[in-house]
Amino acid sequence: MKTGIQSWLDERFGLSNITKFLKEKTVPQHKHSIWYYTGSAILLFFTIQVITGFMLVFYYKPTLEGANESVARIMTEIPLGWIIRSVHSWSASFMIAFVFIHLLSTWLTKSYRNPRELTWMSGVFLLAVSLAFGFTGYLLPWDDLSLSATKVGTDIPRSIPLVGAWVTKLLRGGEDVTGDTLTRFFGFHVSILPVFIFILLAVHIYLIQKQGMSLPLALESKKEEVKEIPFWPNFVYRETIVWLLLLGALFSLAIFFPPSLDKAAELMAPAPEGIKPEWYFLFLFQTLKIFPAKIFFLTGDTFAVLLMLLVGILFFFLPLIDNKPAERKGRIITIIALVLIVYAVVMTIWSLL
Amino acid sequence: MKLRKKKFLGMFLLVIFFVSFLILQLNFAQQVTQEEQEEKVQVKADQDKIIPSPQNIKESTGIYVFVAWMWIAILVLIYILSLKIREVDRLLKLRFLSTEKK
Repeated sequence: MKTGIQSWLDERFGLSNITKFLKEKTVPQHKHSIWYYTGSAILLFFTIQVITGFMLVFYYKPTLEGANESVARIMTEIPLGWIIRSVHSWSASFMIAFVFIHLLSTWLTKSYRNPRELTWMSGVFLLAVSLAFGFTGYLLPWDDLSLSATKVGTDIPRSIPLVGAWVTKLLRGGEDVTGDTLTRFFGFHVSILPVFIFILLAVHIYLIQKQGMSLPLALESKKEEVKEIPFWPNFVYRETIVWLLLLGALFSLAIFFPPSLDKAAELMAPAPEGIKPEWYFLFLFQTLKIFPAKIFFLTGDTFAVLLMLLVGILFFFLPLIDNKPAERKGRIITIIALVLIVYAVVMTIWSLL
Repeated sequence: MKLRKKKFLGMFLLVIFFVSFLILQLNFAQQVTQEEQEEKVQVKADQDKIIPSPQNIKESTGIYVFVAWMWIAILVLIYILSLKIREVDRLLKLRFLSTEKK
């Protein structure tokens, strides 16, 4: 029985079509179903990021003089400010971790196969935007570590032939990391990247709803009938359990292990020892460190950056490269995926030692 | 009737969960007095690194109570949801819920 408000809204927005769609939507139930929950976990953390981001932006000042001071004020004077900042920081890590897990599970189950190529490509863009959020957000507290890490990070594109110097200048807003870089990163973090992520999320979610949930390749090739459950209420109840557990873990970590804040960065001061980026960039950071000074006719940095770009492009076009996933080529690509996962984990651990 | 009771209990716990969070926030807001603020500014000037932590025993107790309450609420909600899942799965088996496309 519809209430007056429901009917009024339905006449204007056609909400009954959405509820009808959700009632008819089904989710396959099999031994790999756990991966279906990673997508909604990303949405949960993204929502938390938006809410805590709004709260932080009320007090944050994106200027050379005010940035570090305003973060210190959030942490020491604003009621619950340190918890909000901590939740924002931890939620970013959780979100990126789940984006990685979501993409790798899609890779290993070969869910990007025809007709889901564009879903994969929009997902890779979403990973890039999530990492860009992490990179721009890291500078905002404006302490010694964030300044030095940003100097190193924005210097990496310089190694790209022809356009490298221009990209570095574009990111920094000048030749070096200054107050202009801080303002620029703040602009990226709160206005440009959110626009991109909302558009990409809309496209990604639309494609998933259009194509339906994918079955793992191994299961589809068996040609057995797979059990399905209704999205509402059977799947939503299960999903709520996952969300509650993740929320509990997030709040517990944010309360007991909040991020600290160093003193305000000085532009002329020498770089402190042990500069490290956020954990999700560590494997790239370590990769750059292990390359020799010169490889063939290229410098080590240029070679490493070009290699990473090539891997990134191949990763983006993976559904087109792995167009016969059930055959030998597909199995080799699965082995490459496993090798890359082991490589990233080893490099991250090595970087932490 | 049983289902309505469980639904009510679930909603009640959710409301309590959020209300306790709001009360905690109000409590924190009242604690930040002028004196404490001056003290914090002094401490900030004295040290280079700010490590966030509860400022006094009241705040610290409040946080422990909140975390304990949060986990209890989560566990109770998970228990209720697991009962609901069992029920809707049974309904699906009895074909009261359908997965067929119309």
